[in-house]
Amino acid sequence: MKKTVAVFFGGQSTEHDISIITALGSVIKPLELSKKYTVLPVYITKKGKWLSGAALKNIDLFRSKKIETFEIKTKAAKIVLDGGLSIDGVKIDIAFPAMHGPYGEDGSLMGFLRMANIPFVGADMDASVIAMDKVLAKQVAVSNNIPTSKFVFTTRAQFQADPAASVSVAESKLAYPMFVKPAHLGSSIGITRVATKTELLNAVEVAAYYDEKIIIEEAVANLIEVTVPIIGNDSPRVALVERPLSQGEAFFDFETKYMGNGGKKGGGKAGAQGYSELPAVLPGNLYDTSVDVALQVYRALSMTGIARVDLLIDEKAKIVYFNEVNPLPGDLYGHNWRAAGVSKVQLVDELIRYAEERHDQKSQIDTTFSSSFLQQF
Amino acid sequence: MLQDTEYRLKAYFEWYHRTSDFTAVMKRRKLTVTRKISLLRYALWTVWLLVILAVMGLVILGALTQSYVLGLIALVMLILLPFILAYGIAVPLFAGWLIIQRPKEKTMIENARRILASHAAVKIAVVGSYGKTTVKEILKTVLSESKKVAATPGNMNTPLGISRFANKLVGNEDVLIVEFGEEKVGDVKMLAELSSPTMAVMTGINESHLASFKTIENTINTIFEIVEYLGDKPVYKNGENQFVKDTAEQDEYLFSRKGVNGWRVTDANTSLESGTQFIAKKGTKVVKASTSLIGLHTVGPSVAAIAIADGLGLSTKDIEAGLAKVVPFDHRMQPRQLHGAWVIDDTYNGNSDGVSAGLNLLRTSTAKRRIYVTPGLVEQGDQTQLVHETIGRQIASSADVAVLMNNSVTNYIVAGLTDAKFKGELIIIDDPLDFYTNLDQFVARGDVVLMQNDWTDNYR
Repeated sequence: MKKTVAVFFGGQSTEHDISIITALGSVIKPLELSKKYTVLPVYITKKGKWLSGAALKNIDLFRSKKIETFEIKTKAAKIVLDGGLSIDGVKIDIAFPAMHGPYGEDGSLMGFLRMANIPFVGADMDASVIAMDKVLAKQVAVSNNIPTSKFVFTTRAQFQADPAASVSVAESKLAYPMFVKPAHLGSSIGITRVATKTELLNAVEVAAYYDEKIIIEEAVANLIEVTVPIIGNDSPRVALVERPLSQGEAFFDFETKYMGNGGKKGGGKAGAQGYSELPAVLPGNLYDTSVDVALQVYRALSMTGIARVDLLIDEKAKIVYFNEVNPLPGDLYGHNWRAAGVSKVQLVDELIRYAEERHDQKSQIDTTFSSSFLQQF
Repeated sequence: MLQDTEYRLKAYFEWYHRTSDFTAVMKRRKLTVTRKISLLRYALWTVWLLVILAVMGLVILGALTQSYVLGLIALVMLILLPFILAYGIAVPLFAGWLIIQRPKEKTMIENARRILASHAAVKIAVVGSYGKTTVKEILKTVLSESKKVAATPGNMNTPLGISRFANKLVGNEDVLIVEFGEEKVGDVKMLAELSSPTMAVMTGINESHLASFKTIENTINTIFEIVEYLGDKPVYKNGENQFVKDTAEQDEYLFSRKGVNGWRVTDANTSLESGTQFIAKKGTKVVKASTSLIGLHTVGPSVAAIAIADGLGLSTKDIEAGLAKVVPFDHRMQPRQLHGAWVIDDTYNGNSDGVSAGLNLLRTSTAKRRIYVTPGLVEQGDQTQLVHETIGRQIASSADVAVLMNNSVTNYIVAGLTDAKFKGELIIIDDPLDFYTNLDQFVARGDVVLMQNDWTDNYR
């Protein structure tokens, strides 16, 4: 009997559309091709309505914007927590979150799935919360002696109350150029590189539009940016260190990642994720150091299932800094895994296996406790 | 489906009888509206109209005469209409063949017989159950290096196809290469009498077309009709094929990867990256052969081509240059890269010897995963179960992943896999097109994927 996998995608996030591409192209299709699973798509609309059904596997529904009519005509999915999870009467064996950004990748959905007590793919709730908060993630890294670039943070409330003070703190601790980022967003949304005080003020204002927490980081000199995809639980395995190549710009932005007609050197295909060098050609032992740092981060943040660790390298100083971690990389970084010898079908199958393994481990922990409190009450 | 089966009524009716859902039968190809199809359509509409008129007539007559029987007949006719149309289509087809096509073909074949009999070129017949296109293309490419060569195109290997080829000849060709297609006893003799070959290459014999030959002995006898026809003239025979080896005279024309007719092969090697290389020597003559074909089973036909070319007076330099131009043929052991994986397209291969050669190559390939994809073979007659159980056992020792297209022979292959205690992953696919379209999702760098055979819509 095939297991039923619910694939969650969409969501009230700026990365809603990326999530659709990840779910339909990199999760649902390979899961179905594996012939091992029955897939139930669960789409969360931009308004927060949950829908399920086979029709949601069709990309044309989203491309043609017919989804708006579909959303109006279709009843919200009936979710039942009965010691497990049932959606529209279908008992779910495993959940596969394919959501990026807030509510999907930040631990919210994972909390719900923990409550449902079913195995789910990717990082657990606590790891997701930390990973999706760039400030928290860096603080964990620093406490584990993992190098990070210098940073400060502020909040939307602090900035709105006194913009100059927020900026002064940054200027007193960091040198220009700096990067301003919303603390919880991925896909490079709302990120600005700044070189002056005026630019810094504007950039924090932009970031505060997207998030209530803003991180300001000192730019790394002699920069090489790399990313390291990792999967696994207790014994994580690494794909290939990949070097995104921005086209003369100072960082790998959303446009370059998802909209550019880029391609990959070394065997990758053109399309989403822009240009990159795969595997990255790095001087000296920086390739191995990058793998080491990425694995240290993965473990320090208690990541499980899948993640992609982004690193910044000062080529002259030969220092590899932790930049950020993505608990659910867009497209699952399938192109990189494929180049490392793992097909898309194998990748989703492995991720399901890790989800079940972690759930089994957790199931062995006793969460109940017999007491006489009630009798004494 | 008639068009898909090349208007072979037997194959068409077999398909019709086993099909239960007629809503989605066109998967691989769409109907091409030719003159023949248009005429058949008109004929079908006419039959339909006649039946409807008859039904109406019977209903009216039944009402006037108050006869329930007539109404009942009308109802039965309506219910049977789909069957009447399905079977009725054979009538105009047969009539058209009898009145128009047959006389026309007869004239064309007679013309071709005269043209070929009087043509001064060396005429090489290529006969066998499999591998004919490969041998024909190797010969054509090598001999073209210094000769004017014409060969029957594609799989035009029927009397009509060969006649069309003959009618297009200029007359100044040095070499004609004619592929023979055979389906029943006497076919090779008949094609030999049509094309007057002066020599032949016998590629091999196996269970292909066993459904029409009934026994392998019939197949062997039919293929060997060429030996009888040519008498003392040379017939190069594939010594690596068991049926040929067991039946043929052990003469100098028995070719293999070791050599033929005084040519001795050494240093043979093959790889997906660089094709096949070997050295062939005869006396003082040395040919350093290099083709883009893959698999050591291609050495035999290549050295046969060397021997024939040498016999026709080509220099070793020309032979080497010709061999260097030999590339894999479409859908026949044709390798390509896909996301760092090697995909070998052998989907036009539909015979057990090809399967053995392919699986042998897969087994010896350096790969992270060796993936074998097949629907199995068709037209294996009463050997179907045995042939596919054997394939299953061969897969078990050659592949890490077996992908089978779900059809009438799948269980036999699975039985062979089970019998050989296959340890790898077995995937059974219901929709082959969906699999082929999404092949990129299955492969990764380091994989070698061999795809052998592909069933058309009329097989299940």
